Amino acid sequence: MNSFAEHFLHVDMDAFFVEVERLYDPSLRGQAVVVGGLGNRGVVSSASYEARAHGVRSAMPIVEARRRAPHARFVASSMGRYGEVSEQVFETLRGVTPTMERLSVDEAFLDISGLRRHFDTALDVAREIRARIRSEVGIPASVGLATRKFISKLASEDAKPDGIHLVRAGEELAYLHPMPLRKLWGVGQATFAALEALGATTIGHVAQIDVEILRARLGPSLGQHLWQLSRGIDERSVTPGGGAKSVSVESTFATDVVGVESLERELLRLSDRLAGRLRRAGVRGRTVEIKVRYATFETVSRSVTPPNAVRRTHEIWQHGKELLAKLDIGNQPIRLLGIGVAQVGDAAAAEQLTLDTPVVRAADDAAELVRERFGDTSIMPASILGSEDRDRS
Amino acid sequence: MRIRAERDDLADVLARAARAVGNRSPLPILQGLLCEVSGDELRVTGTDTEITIRTTLKVEVLEEGKTVIPAKLAADAVKRLPSGAVAITASDGEVEITGNGPRFRLREMNVEDFPTLSISEGGDGFSVDSKSFIKALSQVGVAASTDEARPTLTGVLFEKTDDGLRLVATDSYRLAVCDLPGVDGPATALIPYRALRELGRSIADDEMQVMITDRDATFTSGRGSLTVRIIEATFPNYRQLIPDSYPARLVVDRASLVDAVSRASLVAEDHIPIRFHLRSGGAELSVSRQEVGEETEQIEGDYTGDEMTIAFNTRYLTDGVQAITTDNVVLDTSDPLKPGLMHGEGEENFRYLLMPVRL
Repeated sequence: MNSFAEHFLHVDMDAFFVEVERLYDPSLRGQAVVVGGLGNRGVVSSASYEARAHGVRSAMPIVEARRRAPHARFVASSMGRYGEVSEQVFETLRGVTPTMERLSVDEAFLDISGLRRHFDTALDVAREIRARIRSEVGIPASVGLATRKFISKLASEDAKPDGIHLVRAGEELAYLHPMPLRKLWGVGQATFAALEALGATTIGHVAQIDVEILRARLGPSLGQHLWQLSRGIDERSVTPGGGAKSVSVESTFATDVVGVESLERELLRLSDRLAGRLRRAGVRGRTVEIKVRYATFETVSRSVTPPNAVRRTHEIWQHGKELLAKLDIGNQPIRLLGIGVAQVGDAAAAEQLTLDTPVVRAADDAAELVRERFGDTSIMPASILGSEDRDRS
Repeated sequence: MRIRAERDDLADVLARAARAVGNRSPLPILQGLLCEVSGDELRVTGTDTEITIRTTLKVEVLEEGKTVIPAKLAADAVKRLPSGAVAITASDGEVEITGNGPRFRLREMNVEDFPTLSISEGGDGFSVDSKSFIKALSQVGVAASTDEARPTLTGVLFEKTDDGLRLVATDSYRLAVCDLPGVDGPATALIPYRALRELGRSIADDEMQVMITDRDATFTSGRGSLTVRIIEATFPNYRQLIPDSYPARLVVDRASLVDAVSRASLVAEDHIPIRFHLRSGGAELSVSRQEVGEETEQIEGDYTGDEMTIAFNTRYLTDGVQAITTDNVVLDTSDPLKPGLMHGEGEENFRYLLMPVRL
């Protein structure tokens, strides 16, 4: 048998934020740890396996987490750190194979077909990857291997924590079919309800439904797609570099923010954070989007595509402010504010050059240098300095 | 306060002063126009506190006094009355606007709330020919930034040169310079383009007086005045940005270039650059957009220099070509990553420096 048939790898960090915090504070090791916004309205962004044993889950209100695991150590999220460690992880993965597709801050797909001359089996590559991340970065990672891209993602779930799960060639359907429907990529609330109405609760059930019925009920493309997945068909390959098509940051305020001036200040803080992420990733964005959640939980977003791709704090902020003005918020209390860029592309591709006037760029460039050496919080626009950080999630 | 005047004259002074009134002012009173009547004159003032426009009109004064009326509504109301005489009367918190039948009764705004706008004394004064001055402003104005986050770049630099006045603007992607020989300008002042753009439609007459102090700039003509707070910042040292010489030069017919760029823009929208392949006999223009398609064409002209491909943002290029008024356009270049300089053939008073797009 071809020992490299399972050449799709999905690498997923275990309790990533928690493990990063443990790097900085070793006393957190072996303890129940919850990372998230610590204010009354904060939510859990990551929980250690010790904390999960007490029923703490991601996205759970922090108040609920404290009730379930009162003994746990609660740590405020520090996004800057996660970005840095994330970069280290991807750097390590890139050292294994350039055929890597970033999926989020802590997971990636790899196609290791090119490594068959260097390793005996795909399993050996997975072991090597885990060992390298452990030694070079210092955190645990789980790896799923399969002959299909989407199955490798399901497999990494089963590998957790800190393990490997291999779905051998020929065993795909036996692995897939008993799985509950929700595990299938692309099955949201509405699709789930539609499939349940057809009597399907497992992936295997979907495989038995006539494809035409699926196409009729779910729409031609989604119906066809799910039917194929349920039969273990997945033509998708690993797209190097790809991954993030958009980058965004948001913050849920400890207390609702009122007034355009305060919102603009928060927006500047967020723009600054976003620019930092773009800088680390070496990308620029074509479209700027803001997201606003009112105290009533009504959520709206607006976007604009400026003539030149953006990556700097002030560029992003300026567009964000204009979008904010369009919403005509007035004095309505705002619970959450977010800003992001979409259609992210390589910063070096087709770039509108500037006249490079010192006064125009000097401040931004100097700030970037300082941040590269001393971290994101080392320098920031004066107008957000002094106002305490309201971000609680 | 009570006056009577011809509808068209009255509509004109109100509308011109209203150009300084912002659409979304935080202070309701700034949505108003201050009308002051004394002697045989009506003086109208509109302001957003940065820009102030004052207009005057000889009227039939029935009673002196002053009032503040809602700018947009009052100006539109007067304009839509039947032609002929219009009367405005302010009393007891109401402003009545009547003419040949129709009658508007509008709430008067509080005169005491209207900001007192002092005009600073002294400064450098000079006069300009309105037509050439406004043309020069619109030529450089395209390069001014609209990004309020970088106020320095939203201004037009006024600078005294050996033989006249120089106007300069840049948004960091392009830089426009226009010389007005023979105009005795100020030392230097940075004036918001947002205000200068309004001169043509609000104040300009045959000739304008310009008075610049260390705080504001005032443009005055027989039709009124516009005062704007100057930008207190140091403009980039633009001289070092303009290269002294260029090894390559393309000369093409302006109208052909405008047409070619407008065709290419159909494909490019505003974010795909236009490529210029410069070669002897002219240039090949091409633009391609992955999901749409492409457009290519040859432009005949004279090219001296090494063959090269340089790309420019469509909109920035269009702005530059359109600001040039001679029959032939000159594009001087040195390398695909260095700025190109455009100007009219044989006409170097207006120059447009444009950074390329790196492919």
